[in-house]
Amino acid sequence: MADPGILGSTLPAADAVRERLSGPHGPRPKRALSGTNIMLYGTLLIVAMYYLLPLYVMLVTSVKGMPEIRLGNVFSPPMEITFQPWVKAWAEACTGINCDGLSRGFWNSVRILIPSVILSIAIASVNGYALSMWKFRGSELFFTILILGAFIPYQVMLYPIVIMLREAGLYGSLTGLVLVHVVFGMPINTLLFRNYFAAIPSELFKAARVDGAGFWGIYFRIVMPMSLPIFVVALIIQVTGIWNDFLFGVTYISSPERYPMTVQLNNIVNSVQGVKEYNVNMAATLLTGLVPLVIYFASGRLFVRGIAAGAVKG
Amino acid sequence: MNPALQGLMTIAVGVGGCLAYFYFSNLVLDRFIFPARGAQAGRNINRANMVRPWLFVFPAFFFLLLYLGYPVFETLRLSLTDRALGGAFVGFANYEQMMNEPKFWEAMRNNMLWLIVVPAASTAFGLLAAQLTDRIGWGNIAKSLIFMPMAISFVGASVIFKLIYEARPVDAAQIGVMNAVWLNFEGGIWSFIFLRVFPAILCGAFAVIAAYVGYLAARPLWEDRPGPREGVMMKGARAFLGLFGLWLAWVSVRGVWGVLTASLPYGEPINWLTLPFYNNFLLMVILIWIQTGFAMVILSAALRGIPEETIEAAIIDGAKPLQLFFQIKVPQIMGTIVVVWTTITLVVLKIFDIVFAMTNGQWETQVLANYMYDKLFRANDWGVGSASAIVIMALVTPILVWNVHNARKEMR
Repeated sequence: MADPGILGSTLPAADAVRERLSGPHGPRPKRALSGTNIMLYGTLLIVAMYYLLPLYVMLVTSVKGMPEIRLGNVFSPPMEITFQPWVKAWAEACTGINCDGLSRGFWNSVRILIPSVILSIAIASVNGYALSMWKFRGSELFFTILILGAFIPYQVMLYPIVIMLREAGLYGSLTGLVLVHVVFGMPINTLLFRNYFAAIPSELFKAARVDGAGFWGIYFRIVMPMSLPIFVVALIIQVTGIWNDFLFGVTYISSPERYPMTVQLNNIVNSVQGVKEYNVNMAATLLTGLVPLVIYFASGRLFVRGIAAGAVKG
Repeated sequence: MNPALQGLMTIAVGVGGCLAYFYFSNLVLDRFIFPARGAQAGRNINRANMVRPWLFVFPAFFFLLLYLGYPVFETLRLSLTDRALGGAFVGFANYEQMMNEPKFWEAMRNNMLWLIVVPAASTAFGLLAAQLTDRIGWGNIAKSLIFMPMAISFVGASVIFKLIYEARPVDAAQIGVMNAVWLNFEGGIWSFIFLRVFPAILCGAFAVIAAYVGYLAARPLWEDRPGPREGVMMKGARAFLGLFGLWLAWVSVRGVWGVLTASLPYGEPINWLTLPFYNNFLLMVILIWIQTGFAMVILSAALRGIPEETIEAAIIDGAKPLQLFFQIKVPQIMGTIVVVWTTITLVVLKIFDIVFAMTNGQWETQVLANYMYDKLFRANDWGVGSASAIVIMALVTPILVWNVHNARKEMR
């Protein structure tokens, strides 16, 4: 074998020749089945099974017919796909005396969701803006109250709020629940908005001032267009939080007519009469999760950010 | 009235009311209370600017106090009264009654179990998933799938796992995933590997981790380190954590022995949710399933933020992958790990939906939040219910104080 060193003088062709002459070089190729890789893929497989199997079983079961489910074979894909369970979960499943399925709960949830999301974001963003714009006497106090409000467990306030709503005549009504959602969503969202707005360079505000913009002018023309991401994040926090809420729904709504979707899902699944229809239950679960899941797949990264930011709330 | 119309009205009235309040209160302040004209224009502008922030924050302030502040004290007061006596003051009788109920202590025990297992497991799995998914090409898909349970409600997750734990009579085909898998084990070599060796390894790993964390916490007690001296409180906490880790390790080592020697009823379906004590862990699995995604996302961001130089330096110094992970990466993201841990701890302390939907506290699975709900809304006993709410509050308070402290530090 020639010494590649002497070829160094003929520089242009050196690389090509050296490759021919010195045999394989560079880092040693990794074996596909090294111990580390086996461990890596083994662990991944187990982790994947734990996280995906439930989702897979849910999906598969929801499109099987009951006779097929009774045969066992939990993991096998459906022999014939039927959407009957979905239809039944949506329109026919019974909770107590009502037999109109989840649709009722869905519309209740929508009617709770839309006003509470719009209201809480409107109020929280204005508050966050006011807090970030001025440092005033007592803002520290307000701040601490906000943080406390974001972290205190809801259980502590559960019952007195029942009394308050009852005295206001709102107990059991959707309006009462909307009010509760708005108030409980406010601390975390205000903090979010305030932090985001505080990072906007103050020169922008000053320039806008000089150009004659007032409080609202700055808010609508400078702050809002610049802060679209944080509005989306707050929207995601509120939508998923309120849609998935169970505790408030079951506590502050007194009649099955007005239960939100999660509560109704629980009631459908736990109703004791008749045979257990696993496929209907799974279809109902999927239907209930549809709104957050759609938002999740549509918004991706921002969703993750929203959930991460909202995870601290009481 | 049409419900859609009603909803629209609510929105219109709510948003319109808020805007009108903001706008007109501002107007009144500027035009009438402190008008910026006349002899005292300058002073008035200053005053108006001092008052204005409060004008805008006032509605939020008012509702927060009304809905968050007042209820806390009201709960405290209710916990000292008795409904049966028409709300008369009874001192600590409710707490006493609660302490004498075995169900309460069961809930306390279970909450402590949840508190130990769920944050640890979620954080560990999250860290594992973050590290592994960073190394493979389709890591982002894996990540988005692991995160997906976060989008499903706790109740939805519970319904899924109900199917997984479902048990049917011996002669019927098993529908539940756990039982379908379980019936495949006949006591042969694979049963030995999967049901004895594997859990034993898991249990042993937990023992090692517990001992290690305890050691890490307690180490500064006997090591001299530069830096500010720690107070007695901190030292006590470190000693407690160290001993606690040691105790946990001991319990899990005993668990290893138990797993290896337990007699298992092969061949018959098991009603998983009614197995006392162990069913708690089956419920915890659900929350871990949900929370891992959260831990993974946060920790993955932290792992990416580690400066490359430190890793390169370690590789040049000859660090092996495991060393690299535990001695270079983990110490650098310790702060994030603690944040994830405490956040999940907060979730766990208030865990309600899962237990409510799965077992409703039967078969020794009661937890505090469900106990409270039981007392308040089923037994209609606001005294004991409020007392248990205060207990939850007391358990959360240390983390709460720490969180508030941190958040304020961050925002300055």
